[in-house]
Amino acid sequence: MKTNFRYDNKAAYALLTPIVVLLTIFVVIPFFYAIKVSFYNWSFYQESTFVGFRNFYMVVTDRLFGEAVWVGLKFALMVVPAMLILSFLFANVVKNLGAKYSGFVKTSIYIPTIISGIIASVIFVFIYDYMGGLANYVIGWFGSEPKAWLADVATALPSIAAPAIWLGFGFTALIMLAGLHDIPESYYEAADLEGAGAFKKMWYITIPLMRNVILYLLVTGFIAQISQFELSLVMTNGGPLSETTTPNLYILNHFRNDVMVGNSIAASLLLFVVLGSISALIFRVLNSEKAVDG
Amino acid sequence: MRTQSLVQKSALTVIAGVVTLLALFPLLWVVIAGFKGQAEVLATPFRFFPKEWLVANYTDILGDAAFLKSMGVTFGGALLFAALSLIVNSMAAYVFARLEFRFKSIMWVYVIMTMFIPGMAIMLTSFIVVDKLGMLDTLAVLVLPGVASAGHMFFIRQFYLNIPMALEEAALIDGAGRIKIFTSVFVPMSFPVFVIVGIGSYLGYWNSFIWPTMTITNPNLYQIMQYLYNFRAERVTELGLLMAGSALAAIPTIVLFLIFQKYIISGIKISGLK
Repeated sequence: MKTNFRYDNKAAYALLTPIVVLLTIFVVIPFFYAIKVSFYNWSFYQESTFVGFRNFYMVVTDRLFGEAVWVGLKFALMVVPAMLILSFLFANVVKNLGAKYSGFVKTSIYIPTIISGIIASVIFVFIYDYMGGLANYVIGWFGSEPKAWLADVATALPSIAAPAIWLGFGFTALIMLAGLHDIPESYYEAADLEGAGAFKKMWYITIPLMRNVILYLLVTGFIAQISQFELSLVMTNGGPLSETTTPNLYILNHFRNDVMVGNSIAASLLLFVVLGSISALIFRVLNSEKAVDG
Repeated sequence: MRTQSLVQKSALTVIAGVVTLLALFPLLWVVIAGFKGQAEVLATPFRFFPKEWLVANYTDILGDAAFLKSMGVTFGGALLFAALSLIVNSMAAYVFARLEFRFKSIMWVYVIMTMFIPGMAIMLTSFIVVDKLGMLDTLAVLVLPGVASAGHMFFIRQFYLNIPMALEEAALIDGAGRIKIFTSVFVPMSFPVFVIVGIGSYLGYWNSFIWPTMTITNPNLYQIMQYLYNFRAERVTELGLLMAGSALAAIPTIVLFLIFQKYIISGIKISGLK
């Protein structure tokens, strides 16, 4: 710390005013307002009344909300591990490519990441089309009958998981690649001298040293996927039954249809708490693992 | 150096090529489907390339005033959004990186805390707030709510922390004020980090769908994703046109990405692991 530091109160406040004002109006006030509304029977049209924890109670006991949380979990469990494993393997491939070619590959795989969920949904709805879609064409090579991918309870959720993986793959692969490049090459050379094979090198060197990167991607990926709603909104509107109604889609539909919104807001706050706890849990599990091997 | 056999090398090259093609395939497909006639987009059996290449979908959608308008409005909004986001967040980043002032730690906690409030938790009450402010159906409701971002501020601050103190001290001795130092020393050095944050903001705005759908009902302000969503619902049979529109709506983003991709890809490393 500098001993003779001077206070620049005026300049500091002047430069901070915009961010503080905007965050206050558009984040902090809505947040505390949400907490307040969640205790009220609130609507646009009527006098609101204090109802205590009733909104939360209604959400927790709503079978559909429970189902939506379950759908969100299943969805995240389909997307995140698949995406991480694929991008981990792919990052290892790209790392060993020539510089010029890997530059091209990196740029190309990142492009889907910048595409919106809406455009991805439009594309994938056609890929899954019953009559002329690519998916049925491909399974036709193997002699399978066409499937109504998005209308079948068994295939709807995995069918939405595919574009989610497609959208996120490039980003995770590049982060993995950045992590791989941070591992000193000498570790692998030492392992080579010991006669370690590719699998051993990956298991004993790459994966342990990539733990923080993987953890980061696991937590952020999990939160992003469980919050996903655009794909199911556009591709299936939550159906068939409520097989693809993710928690956020549930909240959104209630907010649009219900007169009283205290409910929806209580649900979104609850979800916020649930997500926070899940990511805290993942961090703890991985941290304790770290403590074991010192 | 590790040695790799030619076989290994070419196997890797092939795998990388196949995955890259798979990643790009859906986009290639939508671009190509845009060249198909209405009946051919979903022709059975499936065909990747059209029987004959039609440009009618592309010329038609480009001739649609509503499409062009929403592209234009969204592009303008996205640029404005990105510019404001850079200004607001970099000013705060500079303050937190370099200045000492009363209540600094309180202000820091106040700003950073907002990073942990998920968008969905506050979207519904944000709607009520912008409604009360009379902002519904204005450009302001699209641009202002997301401009201040603790995440972006934090990211720019990490960059500013690495700018040598000496540069600033020299300017201070020359009698420059803090604000002058920020605009004439820090801003010009910020290009790499501004590219990353600017593109991030631009993308967030360009791809946003649910917020415009909630707050905008005036067709003159329809955002491009909102337009595509409505188009799909209302003009269900015009598949080729929808494909062409979707392809065109992705183009500004892809072009921007290709121009700045060098910075974005190197920026991923910093942004991801900090």
